[in-house]
Amino acid sequence: MPQLEELFEAVVNGDREAASRITQEALAGGIDAMDLLEKAMIPAMDEVGRRFECEDYFVPELLLAARAMKASMEFIRPVLAERGAKPAGRVAIGTIKGDLHDIGKNLVASMLEGGGFEVIDLGADVAPERFVDAVLNRGAQVVCLSALLTVTMNSMRTTIEALERAGVRDRVKVLIGGAPVTAQFAREIRADAYSENANSAVAAARQLVAAQVA
Amino acid sequence: MTARERVLTTLSHREPDRIPIDFGTTSVTGMHVSTVAALRDYYGLERRPVKVQECLQMLGLIEADLQQALGIDVEGMLGRKTNFGFPIRDWKPWRLNSGLDVLVPGDFNTTVDANGDTLIYPQGDTSVAPSGRMPAGGHFFDVIVRQEPFDDENLNPSDNLEEYGPVDPVALEYFAHATRTARATGRAVVASFGGTGFGDIAHVPGPALKHPKGIRDIAEWYMSTTSRRGYIHQIFSAQCDYAIANLERIYAVVGDNIDIAFICGTDFGTQSSTFCSVNTFRDLYFPYYKRVNDWIHAHTPWKTFKHSCGSVVRFIDSFIEAGFDILNPVQCSAAGMDPEVLKSKYGDRVVFWGGGVDTQHVLPFGSPQEVREQVLRRCDIFARGGGFVFNTIHNIQAGTPVENIVAMFDAVNEFNGERSGNAATRRAV
Repeated sequence: MPQLEELFEAVVNGDREAASRITQEALAGGIDAMDLLEKAMIPAMDEVGRRFECEDYFVPELLLAARAMKASMEFIRPVLAERGAKPAGRVAIGTIKGDLHDIGKNLVASMLEGGGFEVIDLGADVAPERFVDAVLNRGAQVVCLSALLTVTMNSMRTTIEALERAGVRDRVKVLIGGAPVTAQFAREIRADAYSENANSAVAAARQLVAAQVA
Repeated sequence: MTARERVLTTLSHREPDRIPIDFGTTSVTGMHVSTVAALRDYYGLERRPVKVQECLQMLGLIEADLQQALGIDVEGMLGRKTNFGFPIRDWKPWRLNSGLDVLVPGDFNTTVDANGDTLIYPQGDTSVAPSGRMPAGGHFFDVIVRQEPFDDENLNPSDNLEEYGPVDPVALEYFAHATRTARATGRAVVASFGGTGFGDIAHVPGPALKHPKGIRDIAEWYMSTTSRRGYIHQIFSAQCDYAIANLERIYAVVGDNIDIAFICGTDFGTQSSTFCSVNTFRDLYFPYYKRVNDWIHAHTPWKTFKHSCGSVVRFIDSFIEAGFDILNPVQCSAAGMDPEVLKSKYGDRVVFWGGGVDTQHVLPFGSPQEVREQVLRRCDIFARGGGFVFNTIHNIQAGTPVENIVAMFDAVNEFNGERSGNAATRRAV
């Protein structure tokens, strides 16, 4: 199906207009929305991630690809939702309390969405209770916490403590990341996983969901 | 050696009598105002509210008595206006979220929103949309993006150049006066005249403008460096023309009263990688940096200062080729930024201004002993053969334990003491 290849190319090349147009044409032409997701979108975002890992792509290219992916998902998502299709997992993501930086968080959210996850984006400067709410009331299986600032990164710890206090810690996995964050810090605050960048966050989220299901 | 001689010696890659120290001279080598207040208390200096000299990151002015206590060798000239476009003068009281009383410029006008966030306004004008936000309980502002709709087919570079243009006579007069005063301190002088930062993401949203036009959204800007590169070139080219014309006028009034010009704070590194490839850097940024540095080196005795956070090891050759003399903040905690490698590979060609201690982990969260050990190690590596000005890796943040900061200064003094023959304490490390 050339349209799957064309959509793949449009997303990898960050061509928003082409991604939007091809998706609409493909859906109108009877191509299955799940095929668009699984055979074009997810492989495209995997390819973008691969290029990022090998430093062929950088932040601008990631942002462009994410924007193209979103333009396409605008049409794919409603079709899948109507059909009751199950996402790869449901993830709540936000930059922690006291920190307004959201570029890294947005990139991770986009990579997750492009990876087939349902993403609940809570924004920046997110209070611990809002993460708790996302688990309690919106069924988040994974909570992703992002931080850029050293001075407020302890909000990651207080967010995990809030999940514990609310009695939901055992039904959610916590994935953390951001410039000052390290694997050691993740262990210290009892997070389930740490990711160094947007691409590896997708693999980490897949593992966490798999571990939870198992 | 005088403080200035010490700095000039290290800038020319010769070992001075001791490692020169900078704190508080630029927007990237300072301390949060609460930290300055804590140090004043620690050293028993007169209790008075500290002035916020940089109102985005809320950096405190390090006055002469504290400079003396800390052994600072460099004097700064930060410019006439804040990032939010109002002049740094007419001090008035203000209270931080922590309850600490400080002084801020007269046009530092704020409101508090329903969320408890503090909002600050461009040029102090509360009748327009705010351009900075400090979260409730936060310590400094982040720029608010105010992106108006734009027509991709009819982008006009002049929309992104509103904040650039010929330097005004009031600013020139200020530069002349402020640099004369700075020179009289006997310290080396670093000046931030503005206008030479190409694509600095802290400036892109136009925090000083009441109604910014053009591409002001941060993600949109980053994407534009790839998808609208011609447009970005047009902006940088015109900005560079202004910058060089302004430097001519500034040099005419400032002359040799400064030693170092802060050129650009655009970050090219991230914690584990870079924001762009070396090829992109060389195509999009290098030509403009080179024009600015070449002009300065051809017409003035000034050294030029480049700041970039993160992992920039792959850019250093290009920075040097573009004519930068000084690299800051030397983020050794980022990928590939090993101090030994940096010093051995680039130490004779670029001055490391920073790198003294890690402000992400060791300084805020380590013990005083861990701080001391890292500072001594870094001094040992970076000071060899000169080419090193001691500074932390970027500004010292709010909440950093004062005993760790004191341990840092004590360690530099200990190292400097050893250099004049007192090796006993060093061996205890």
